Amino acid sequence: MSALISLFLKLSAFSAIAFGGINALLPALYDLSVNQEHWLNTQTFADFFAIAQAAPGPNLMTVTLIGWHVGGIIGAVVASIAICWPSSIMVYFLQGYLNKLRNQIAKQTIQFAASALAVGLVLGSAWDISQQINHSLAAFALTLLAIAVVILTRWHPLYLIVMGGALGLLGFIYIHTLDLFRRRYAIDKKDCLSAWYELCSFLNCFCPSGLSE
Amino acid sequence: MSGFGGVLPWARRTVVEQERWLSSEEFNAMLGICQIVPGPNIVNLAVCIGSRFAGVPGALASVLGLMLGPSVIVILLGMLYEHYSYLPAVQGMLRGISAVGVGLIAGTGLKMMRNEFSFPPMLLVVAITIIAAGYFQLNLGWVVLIASPLAIFLGWKKAKQI
Repeated sequence: MSALISLFLKLSAFSAIAFGGINALLPALYDLSVNQEHWLNTQTFADFFAIAQAAPGPNLMTVTLIGWHVGGIIGAVVASIAICWPSSIMVYFLQGYLNKLRNQIAKQTIQFAASALAVGLVLGSAWDISQQINHSLAAFALTLLAIAVVILTRWHPLYLIVMGGALGLLGFIYIHTLDLFRRRYAIDKKDCLSAWYELCSFLNCFCPSGLSE
Repeated sequence: MSGFGGVLPWARRTVVEQERWLSSEEFNAMLGICQIVPGPNIVNLAVCIGSRFAGVPGALASVLGLMLGPSVIVILLGMLYEHYSYLPAVQGMLRGISAVGVGLIAGTGLKMMRNEFSFPPMLLVVAITIIAAGYFQLNLGWVVLIASPLAIFLGWKKAKQI
């Protein structure tokens, strides 16, 4: 029971500070669930992340899986609600405020600015994730193919996911999920300057500090 | 409303391309607001879209609709995973799916970018955001802080121009 309460309180606090969505939250989530609370180990965390990415659904399903790991079905429900409610209430009132705003120029300014930021954040996070999980040419080719299909056609995304799964099943794709966490976590723990140094040394090595499974 | 399920690419496809609940511009603006507020973007988006059409009940319905199906699927997958995670085939499959998933996100982002061409200076904001978030991997709170002054200035210019 106390584990469930702590799950709820900690995740609620996270939701209120998680600028930029779940991908930005992941390193802090890792710190909490693996290092502080010992809810699960590094390998399980990385695999839960991969499953949440693979499953059709929001990527906050990582949180749902951690909740499930901690407290079964009830844990999953508690974790999902905890991660949603603070920001949902915030955005509900912000939306209401914007709809009531009389000044058309101010309203449009906010919307245009937010829209450009959104486009940038979506593309930036796609770039970020692709750098880290695509460790083979085949994986990059598959990503590019998916981009082309999304832009040029109106196919259902499911076809692509099935195709990706089939190619992976046959052993064409190699991705090190664990690497993603090691690097994200290392960078997020430091300030911008040391992140920059880290980036330079990373580029100098010219290869990801390999975790060869 | 509660049929609304899935990540961003699916959401845009359903809301804009199929059901036409929102225009492409409205969708971008709404998503933008949801991304500058902390918390899971897609849940925030469900709250926005739901509350716009049916107030608080609409918001609750769309969040439930968004979460319920995927939660059940993901927990079933979690159970399967506990039994079969050692198989190389399972690991390979997860990798292939992740690679496609990234492509879906990027493709959706590029589609959203089409709207920004109506006011080309705004592309500068897009570029700065991409570089800060994708190349420097800054914490997204920082990215928003860095890019928003220019975004608000250009947004104001664009609003006056129209």
